[in-house]
Amino acid sequence: MTEQTVQLEAALKIHLLLVDDDLEFKGVMQRHLERIGIRHSVSVCCLDALDLLEAQNAEVVIMDMNMPEMDGIQCLRKVKERWPLSEVVILTGHASVKSGIEGMESGAFDYCLKPIDIRELIEKIELAAQKALINQEDALLIPATPAVVPQAKRTS
Amino acid sequence: MPLLDRILTLLRRLRLPGATVPLLNSEPAHRLLVAHSRSFRDLLVAFACARKAMAELEAAWEDGRPLSMSFIRARCTQVTVNVFKVIRHQGQIADRRDSELERAFSRLRQRIEAILEGERQPVAGEMLLDLAQINRTLTSLTGEKMASLAEAGAITNIRIPPGFVLTAAATDLFFQRNQLYRKINHILQQTEVDELSDLYSKSASIQELIQTAPMAPELETLLLDRFDRLTGAGPACRVAVRSSAIGEEFDRSFFTGLYHTELDVGRDRLIDACKTVLASKYTPQAISYRLAKGLLHERCAMGIGVLAMVEAAVSGICHTCSIDGPGDTLDLFYAPGMAKGIVESTRSVGHLRLSRLPPHRIVRRQEAEDATRPWLTDVEAIALAEAGMRLEHHFGAPREIEWSIDRTGSLFVLQSRPAAVPRASVAPSPPVVAGQPLLHGGVTGCDGAGYGEVFVVRTMQEALHCPRRAVLVVRHPLPSLAPLLHRAVALVAETGNQACHLAAQAREFGLPCLMAMERATELLAAGTPVTVDATGRAVYQGRVEPLLRPTVDRPDPMAGSPVQRTLASALALISPLTLLDPCPADFRTVHCQTLHDIMRLCHGQAVRRMFEFSLRSGQGKAAKRLRSTLPGQWWAIDLDEAPGDDDHRPDIELTDIASPLPHALWGGMQHVSGQKPAFSRRQTAAAALIRAGVRRGFDLIRAPFSREKNYFLISQKYCNLSIQLDRQPVMVEAMFDDQRGAGSITFRAAGSPRQTWRLELLAQLLDHFGYRINRVGGALFAWMDQESDVELFDRLKTLGYLAIRIRGLDAERADAGGLWLCRDKIICEIKEMLHHD
Repeated sequence: MTEQTVQLEAALKIHLLLVDDDLEFKGVMQRHLERIGIRHSVSVCCLDALDLLEAQNAEVVIMDMNMPEMDGIQCLRKVKERWPLSEVVILTGHASVKSGIEGMESGAFDYCLKPIDIRELIEKIELAAQKALINQEDALLIPATPAVVPQAKRTS
Repeated sequence: MPLLDRILTLLRRLRLPGATVPLLNSEPAHRLLVAHSRSFRDLLVAFACARKAMAELEAAWEDGRPLSMSFIRARCTQVTVNVFKVIRHQGQIADRRDSELERAFSRLRQRIEAILEGERQPVAGEMLLDLAQINRTLTSLTGEKMASLAEAGAITNIRIPPGFVLTAAATDLFFQRNQLYRKINHILQQTEVDELSDLYSKSASIQELIQTAPMAPELETLLLDRFDRLTGAGPACRVAVRSSAIGEEFDRSFFTGLYHTELDVGRDRLIDACKTVLASKYTPQAISYRLAKGLLHERCAMGIGVLAMVEAAVSGICHTCSIDGPGDTLDLFYAPGMAKGIVESTRSVGHLRLSRLPPHRIVRRQEAEDATRPWLTDVEAIALAEAGMRLEHHFGAPREIEWSIDRTGSLFVLQSRPAAVPRASVAPSPPVVAGQPLLHGGVTGCDGAGYGEVFVVRTMQEALHCPRRAVLVVRHPLPSLAPLLHRAVALVAETGNQACHLAAQAREFGLPCLMAMERATELLAAGTPVTVDATGRAVYQGRVEPLLRPTVDRPDPMAGSPVQRTLASALALISPLTLLDPCPADFRTVHCQTLHDIMRLCHGQAVRRMFEFSLRSGQGKAAKRLRSTLPGQWWAIDLDEAPGDDDHRPDIELTDIASPLPHALWGGMQHVSGQKPAFSRRQTAAAALIRAGVRRGFDLIRAPFSREKNYFLISQKYCNLSIQLDRQPVMVEAMFDDQRGAGSITFRAAGSPRQTWRLELLAQLLDHFGYRINRVGGALFAWMDQESDVELFDRLKTLGYLAIRIRGLDAERADAGGLWLCRDKIICEIKEMLHHD
C-alpha cells in the first residue's frame, strides 16, 4: 500500500469541519470534498463551529484565521483545549510570521496561505486525518514506557 | 559486553548528555521507532516546504524581477513556519526540546518579523492646510504636488487657484480607523498580479472597500466647513479634487497620471470625490506601477488638494526642457478647455517649441489638425515660457507644468512637478537599416527598439489577454493601459504625444514607444513579428538585429527599491548556509546564524538519531542488509514500512525496494565498475568500496557503530546515503514530491585538507551538471531544486557515479592540467551512461 493510499484512506475515515466565511472558497472546497468522499460539515463563523463540534466531533478542522466574532487564534485554542485529538489546519489570507508561529504554538497542525492550490490543501487534509487517527490510537493505548533494558542485565 | 553496547554506552556518556537512548528490543520500543520514523518523515516534508519557499525568495532576488511585498511576506512566513515544524519534529525524534535552539529560532524570527512589518509610524500633523500656509518643507504632509503648487503660488507673477489640502495625516487616519491597510493586504496577498483579469477584479474590490468606508464625522465637518469658506458657499461653486502623492522614493518615482483627478465637484459630492481620489491609489495601473518599482503601498501616503475650478479657455502642459528637441528649447502642448484630454491623448493637441532663454522665440509651431485658428497666441505662449522658466529657476530643475488660461486671459498654474525623466544629453543616432518599413512617422515617446509579435488592443477586454513580450499596438495611449507596459517590449499608439502620461511612464521604464502612428491598428496585423524602432520612428517586419543592439541604458526600476531592500534584509537572516560541515566543532546551535542553519542542524541531528534508533530496533525489522554484488556492507533502513512490516528476512535484494530514488543512485554507483580506467593503478572499484566500509570516521556523523556499514535511509519519496571520500563524510539526499512532479537533491562533502583537488574537481563537475554550488572552508555543498522526475533520476545517477568515480583518481593527476582532463573525461563518461540508459 503506497503512502498516498494510506493518507487517502485516513481522510475517508474522518469527519471534517470547514470554517470559512468566504463563500466562493467554501463552495469550491465542498465540491472537492464531495468528489473525494470526505464527510464534512461547514460553518461560516467560529461560534457556530464550536457548536457544531459539540454536536458532532470532527477529527480535522480547516479554519480561516480572519473570521468575524472571534479571533482565529482564540478559536483554535478553544478547539484544541476541548478536542485535543482533533487536528486543525489554519488558512489565512494575510501572511504574517507572528500569526503563523502563534498558530503553530497554539497547536495547529499546519498553517497555510491563501490562495492555496486545492490539491495541496487536500493533501494537508489527508496528512492531518492520518495524524488525527494516530492521536486516537495513541489515546486508546495504555501508556507504555519503552523497554529500556538495563545494561547490567543485558550483559549478565 | 558486546561491542555495539559498549559503543552505545560510550555515546550516551560522551555525545548525548542528558538524552535517554532506550535499547529497542521490545514492542513498545518498536512503537517508539515507528513514531520517530513518522516524525522524521514530517521533518523532511517541512524541510522541503521551507527549502521551496526559500528557493523562490532566492530566485526572486537573483532575477531582480518585480515582486510584491505580499510575495515576500508569504514566502518568509512559509519558511519560518516550516522551520518551526522542523524544530518541533527534531525535538520529537530526540525526545527532548532544545531550548537553546528554540531561543535562536525565536531571535531570528523576531528580526524577520520586524523587517517585514517595518516601522511604519502614523503620519502626524494638521488635518487641513490652506495652500497659503504650505511650502516644500511640508511635503511629507501635503504631498509633492500640492507643496510645489503652493510654493509656486508664492512666486511673483505666478497665479494658482485658491484651495486647501486634506493632508496625509487625515487620509492616514481614515485608513487606520477603517483598518484598510490590513484589509487591503488581505486582498493583495490573494491577487495574481500577473493575471490581468485578477488584477482588475481585485483592484475593483479594494477601491470599493475605500469608497464605502466611513469618513470620521469630525473630518467630514472640517472638510465641508473649509469648502464653504473657500467658495463663498455659492451653490454653483465647483472644485477640482486632486491627488498629491507622498513617497519616500519620490526622487526616483514620479507616479505620472496614476491617480484620479475629480473635476467640477460640488459640495454634495466632495466627500465621495475625496474617497474616489484616495481609492485611485489602488487602480490596476497604480498597483502594477508600485510592483514594478518595488514600492510599498503603506508607505505611499497621499494628500488631497481641493482647488477652485478654473473656467479654462485653453489648457496644456509645459515641459521647461524639451522632451525630444534641442536642449535649449522648451515644449508647450495645448488644447481648448481642460488639460485632461491632452495627457490622456484622447483629443488633438497643438505643439509649440520655444527657446528657453529670453526673449523666448517660437522655433516651431504645429497646430492640431482640427484647429481652425491657433488655440494659443504668440503672446500667451511667451507668457507661458516666462512662467515656466521662472518656476524652473525657483525649483532648480526642469519642470512639468500643467496650466490653464481662463476666459479673462489670466494664466493659472495647476500643477508643477519635476520633469519625469530628463532628456538624455545626446539622443542616440539610429543605425542605418535597409528595407522598407511597414510604418513610419509619428513621434518618439521613448527612445530605443524592441522586437516582438504585434498585439492589438482596441478594448479593455482585449487588454486582459495581452501576452508577455508583445509589441503593444493601441488607438489611444490611455493611462488605464499602463499595467500592460510592464509586459510589452514596445508600444505603438495611433494618437498621443510626448506629454501624455503613458509616454512619460514608458520613459520612466525605458520602454521603446512611438506615438501618433496613424492607422497603426489597421496596418499592423496581430501576430506579425515586428521590430519597433522608436528612435528612428519606424516599424519593420521581422527581426532587425542592428536596431536591437542596445544603444540606450535601460533603467532597473527595482534596484535599491524598498521592496528589494526588505527582501535583501530578510534573506540575509534566512538563506545563507554557514553550517556546511557536520563536524562536531562547528555543528552546534551557537553557530546557527540563519534559519537555513537551524534547518540544517535539526536535519543533521535527526538523521543521526534515526541511524541510532534503526540500529537498535533489531536489524530484521527496520534495517535490512542489501544483497549486492558490490563489496562492503550495504544496509537499507525503511522509514515507510517499519511500522507494519511483517517481513523478517534479514536481507533483501535491491529490487525489493519500491522507492525509485535509491535505484537511480545505486545504478550510477554500479556503472563505475564498467569503467576500467576510472580507478587508479593501485585500486579497483571493489577495493574502493571496501575501503569505504572500513575507514575510520565513515558516516556523516562519525558514529563509530556505523563504521563498517553503509546505510540508505529510504522512504517512498526520500533517500539518504552516507559514504566516505578521503576519510571525509559525503552525504547524498534526494526528495521527490509526486504531487508537484518535482524533487530536489542535496549533496554535502567535507574536504580533506590533504586532497583539496578532489573536492575542487567535484565542484567543477557538479557545476557542469547544473548543480548550485556553495563552498565554505573545506566543505562543498551542492543542491538542485524543483527537478522533474526524469531529471531527478538522471542527476541522482550522476551523483552515484561521481561519488564512486572520484574516489578512484590518483593524487598524481591533481595538477591543473590533469584536473581538466579528468573533468572532461568524466563528463563524457556520464553523458554516455545517461545516453545509454
